[in-house]
Amino acid sequence: MSIDPANTVVTRRRFLKDGMLVPLAFAVAGGSVSTLFLRRTDAQGFYLRPPGALEEKRFLAACIKCGKCAQACPYNSIKMLGGEAGIGIGTPHIIAREVPCYLCPDIPCAKTCPSGALDRKLEDVEKIRMGTAVIIDRENCLSLRGLRCEVCYLQCPLIDKAITIEPRHNQRTGVHSIMEPVIHRDKCVGCGICENACVRDKPVIKVIKSPVEQKDYYEF
Amino acid sequence: MSFKWWPIRRTLQLLAIALIASPLFGLNIFHGNLAAGEIFGIGLADPLAFMQATLASHVFVAEFLGAALIITAVYVVSGGRTFCGWVCPMYLLAELGEKLRLRLGTGERTFSLNGTRWALVITAVLAVLTGVPVFEILSPFGIASRAIMFRAWLPLLLVFAILVVEVCVVRRVWCRTLCPVGGFYTLLGSISPIRIGFSKERCTMCGECSRVCPVEEVLVPSLADKKLQIVSGDCTRCGDCIDICPENALGVDIWYK
Repeated sequence: MSIDPANTVVTRRRFLKDGMLVPLAFAVAGGSVSTLFLRRTDAQGFYLRPPGALEEKRFLAACIKCGKCAQACPYNSIKMLGGEAGIGIGTPHIIAREVPCYLCPDIPCAKTCPSGALDRKLEDVEKIRMGTAVIIDRENCLSLRGLRCEVCYLQCPLIDKAITIEPRHNQRTGVHSIMEPVIHRDKCVGCGICENACVRDKPVIKVIKSPVEQKDYYEF
Repeated sequence: MSFKWWPIRRTLQLLAIALIASPLFGLNIFHGNLAAGEIFGIGLADPLAFMQATLASHVFVAEFLGAALIITAVYVVSGGRTFCGWVCPMYLLAELGEKLRLRLGTGERTFSLNGTRWALVITAVLAVLTGVPVFEILSPFGIASRAIMFRAWLPLLLVFAILVVEVCVVRRVWCRTLCPVGGFYTLLGSISPIRIGFSKERCTMCGECSRVCPVEEVLVPSLADKKLQIVSGDCTRCGDCIDICPENALGVDIWYK
């Protein structure tokens, strides 16, 4: 094959066809295929993001899926999401029931994030807000049934701040107390250690998306 | 045989994969992947990942910009699409696919090199419109590195699909026409003084170089016009033309001519 300069001339027709129509066709095809997968991750429920994560929508915008946070985690708490997460594929999350966040004092995962999806300036673990623990199943909670369980309270890294025990009269037996674990959402960091520690087969305490604060007339 | 470039280039391509895999073996040299990484504590970032994340999230991190600038500077100095030819795992796979394609004798078609620049524009527009760095979901080198780092095998189907298309239908379509990262480096690729140089006295017009070149529309006109260097930013600086030339008419220049 020798080199023929005549073959290298770019005509207007060829320029339009190869330079614009072909890429456009690819863009349309690629775009239509990808929209099938482009679902918001929160459409599938709540994902517990690593410490310092931005609010979910902006987190997805800033995360470039480099995996450094997961590599930095000494407990392997941070896992990467799979295809079930739609556009969140390859983004980090924590499955508290498997391995919760143990709140390293130096927060290595947030420090290593290159893009600001996790706040690298976060210094104080008590300022972390990954979510809020809630007793989702009061009927199955052993403490609320009058037993001395209180495992979530005892395991809480912010014991007596994020979870306190509030004793009250047990109306069922009439002579005992109910030692109720109460979660204080202004202190709870959402690390998931309580969810991990819950002794029931299905955890009755779970980390959920932090509720939005609502101002009302009873503020004082 | 005389000096060849390809063993060095292949070593570098494999080294990139080895670095991404290194944390699995407890090594503390490199973390992250080709979108953003850290070598000996120095942050490195794909400029396209920086652009998308910043456009989508409106979060500006100065260190991220610095990391992206380091990488941009390295490839502006080395010139062309050096990242593609010397580092990117997808390019390595595409090269292996090309070997298979030549054996099968299929898919002679090619699409225009302009596509990569369109892909770059589309990537930026999509990041703004959707508020998600969309290319980071689809990036074959991102998918490949997450497969290595976290055993996330399933997305490799996309890489496999690209390879099937490349082998059977359109030659090297991802790297040549579709990859926005290639498009980005193409824009800056012609600045560098490091270029493929050409000695017209030695050239016998045998055409061996254009047979191995992944972007022959850049190589062929330069040779036909008796230019002294391949100037275009589309050149991946892979050096395959130098290795194949029986007359030693091609070489690496380190300054403009």
